[in-house]
Amino acid sequence: MIKQKLNRFTPYIFMAPAIIIITIALLYPLGYMVYGSFRAWDPSQNISESEFIGLKNYITLFYDPAFRESLGVTLTFAICVVFSELVIGVGLALMLDRNIRGMSVLRTLFILPMMIAPVVVGLMWRYMYHPTVGTFNKTLKSLGLDGIDWLGQNALLSVIIADVWQWTPFIFILSLAALQSLPRSALEAAKIDGATSWQQIIHIKLPLMMPVLIVTALLRLIDAFKVLEVILVMTEGGPGLSTEILALRISRTATEFRELGVAAAMSNYLLILLLILTVSMYAITRIQENRAARLARQIQEEY
Amino acid sequence: MLKTFKRISLGASTAIALATAAFAGPYDEFAGTTLVVNFPAHPHYNAVMKVLPEFTKETGIEVEVDQLPYMKMRERQTLELGQDEGDYDLVAYVVFSKADYVYADQLENLARYFMNPKLADPSYDPDDLIDGYVYNIGFAGGNKGYLAGKTGSLFGVPYGSETSVLGYRKDIFEKHNLAVPETYEEMLDIACKIPQLEPGMGGLSSRAASGHHAAHAFLLHLAPLGGRVFDNSWNPIVNNAAGVEAANALKTIVDCGPEGAASFGFGEALGSFLNGDTAMFLDTTVVAGQIDDPKKSKVVGKVGWAMHPMGVRRGSQTGGFGIGIPKNAENKDAAFLLMQWLTSKTGDKLTALAGGNPSRFSTHADADVNAKFPHMSIFGEALKHADPDWRPIIPVWGKINADLGTTLSKVLTEDLDIQTALDGVAERAKGIMDEAGYYTWQ
Repeated sequence: MIKQKLNRFTPYIFMAPAIIIITIALLYPLGYMVYGSFRAWDPSQNISESEFIGLKNYITLFYDPAFRESLGVTLTFAICVVFSELVIGVGLALMLDRNIRGMSVLRTLFILPMMIAPVVVGLMWRYMYHPTVGTFNKTLKSLGLDGIDWLGQNALLSVIIADVWQWTPFIFILSLAALQSLPRSALEAAKIDGATSWQQIIHIKLPLMMPVLIVTALLRLIDAFKVLEVILVMTEGGPGLSTEILALRISRTATEFRELGVAAAMSNYLLILLLILTVSMYAITRIQENRAARLARQIQEEY
Repeated sequence: MLKTFKRISLGASTAIALATAAFAGPYDEFAGTTLVVNFPAHPHYNAVMKVLPEFTKETGIEVEVDQLPYMKMRERQTLELGQDEGDYDLVAYVVFSKADYVYADQLENLARYFMNPKLADPSYDPDDLIDGYVYNIGFAGGNKGYLAGKTGSLFGVPYGSETSVLGYRKDIFEKHNLAVPETYEEMLDIACKIPQLEPGMGGLSSRAASGHHAAHAFLLHLAPLGGRVFDNSWNPIVNNAAGVEAANALKTIVDCGPEGAASFGFGEALGSFLNGDTAMFLDTTVVAGQIDDPKKSKVVGKVGWAMHPMGVRRGSQTGGFGIGIPKNAENKDAAFLLMQWLTSKTGDKLTALAGGNPSRFSTHADADVNAKFPHMSIFGEALKHADPDWRPIIPVWGKINADLGTTLSKVLTEDLDIQTALDGVAERAKGIMDEAGYYTWQ
């Protein structure tokens, strides 16, 4: 009898180490952040010494125009970079999905930007955008054109370009891998039926790649919401608040303003936003899969 | 016989011990101690690194230095000073950290060290330390909580003090027969004449990038033009006529400055002057070393120095670093000895000769220092007018400063109306001050 009872607990005993590790490594810091967000917490204080203020940090942030502007900048930045990177990355993958001599060298070259440390990327682009000695304005001036005030009037566009340069390769390599694992039979059948290359891309390759593309876009989106170093080095969030994305505002709130509670509340807003995005993307994928399955069933029933 | 010998030996050793105690140096007790100190990566502290071996040689106290970029240093200190037992025996801190550290009771009050006859050197001469810096960097609890006053006391000693001076291109000024500006009006006039006289060259390079840089540049002009951020009752007055004039001065400087000036941080502004792209540079004295370094500068020997121009009054910035002993330090007495040695007349002179920024009047007037760095006498003169209240040093300043800097950046890049912008800053500052309890007594 006792032996039977013990046997029933065996799976839980085996799972215990994993559960303990997850609780310590994931839930404890998360809980700490949530707990901190309800307090007026200065970095000089121990969290237990700080005053409990309920939802005040969340309410203050909700009505704070600087936070809302920062949220707007974050959304604009994230949507623009992920969209541009998807278009360029998938486009490049479609063009290079063939047997070309030296393909492996080319692929390595393409993914080089991803390997560079973000601070270096920020510094590099900052000097390339420099109004007088920067590469871009020097080139423009040598062509007889006026220089562009990259990090002044066009700061958000400039940081978007830098991010697209660094992270398009990520989408490119994943898209290329997805393309090369597509079922050849579907493509051959389409070719036999006379589908043009464009039709193959629109009706076969892209729909089949979609699950991979959604996960890739989601990963990039999460990353784009958290990007910090490149923007910090390039513009420090300026001019005004035009490039101050949430991650940068959180960092400034914690270090410059010394308001750890507010920074924690801001991080929770960001977390909620990312959770909503993740859940809705998975929901869209689920709906699409269900619709495809339903269509497949209908076709089978008709025949 | 043996007894007599023992007695003589005992007497002799007692006499030697007593004599040693009578002639023991102030450092003997601490010889062999290792101090861990936290200094910033900064030209002044790079000079300090060259001087420290001399301290160890003289005292027998070893010094281990944790040198960090200064913003990282603040983060690290925030963590370290909050512990029960800290790693650091002595820390260098930026002036705006004073309010936070003292308010959180994390720095030692220095009174009991200067009162201790075994530790305090009678030849230290504290009156020789530059007044503005002592009050700005080391003093707390006086008028307004951060200025000189009867209720204040000392928590740190200035070390690596900076003020603002005007650097100008002697060759360009001579070529066009321009007089070195002494007032704001003259400076702004010349700043906008330069681009016409020397096409491609900007008038004056200034920091202007969003945030801390723009706020710093604005405050540099606010004090001499007669303004303040708060009145004596903590009401924001940054939006009064003097405030508007200071913002106008900044805008004029940026508009007549080198290309892309609106996005310049300190590095770009200095780089532009070093590269010969501007005729003037109004900022900290710490740059003098780089301007005379042929590896970094294209304008070696071409730069003259003058006092920060006058508006309705003289008022150059007070900035830089101070050194203090954390409350949770392990070797506080030895740390005080190091602090005293570094900021003594000898230590200050040695550091100045190694390329640092002296904190004493006597070092600025010293013949050896002036022979090596001829600009030092003008810097010493400028320091007499260093204004300890050019920016408030209160715990909530970080937030107000950031708002001021981002709003001014909008003035410079998006042509936001200056009065509207400063009214907004004043209104938001009032809210922040109210929340922090500054109007409790009103």
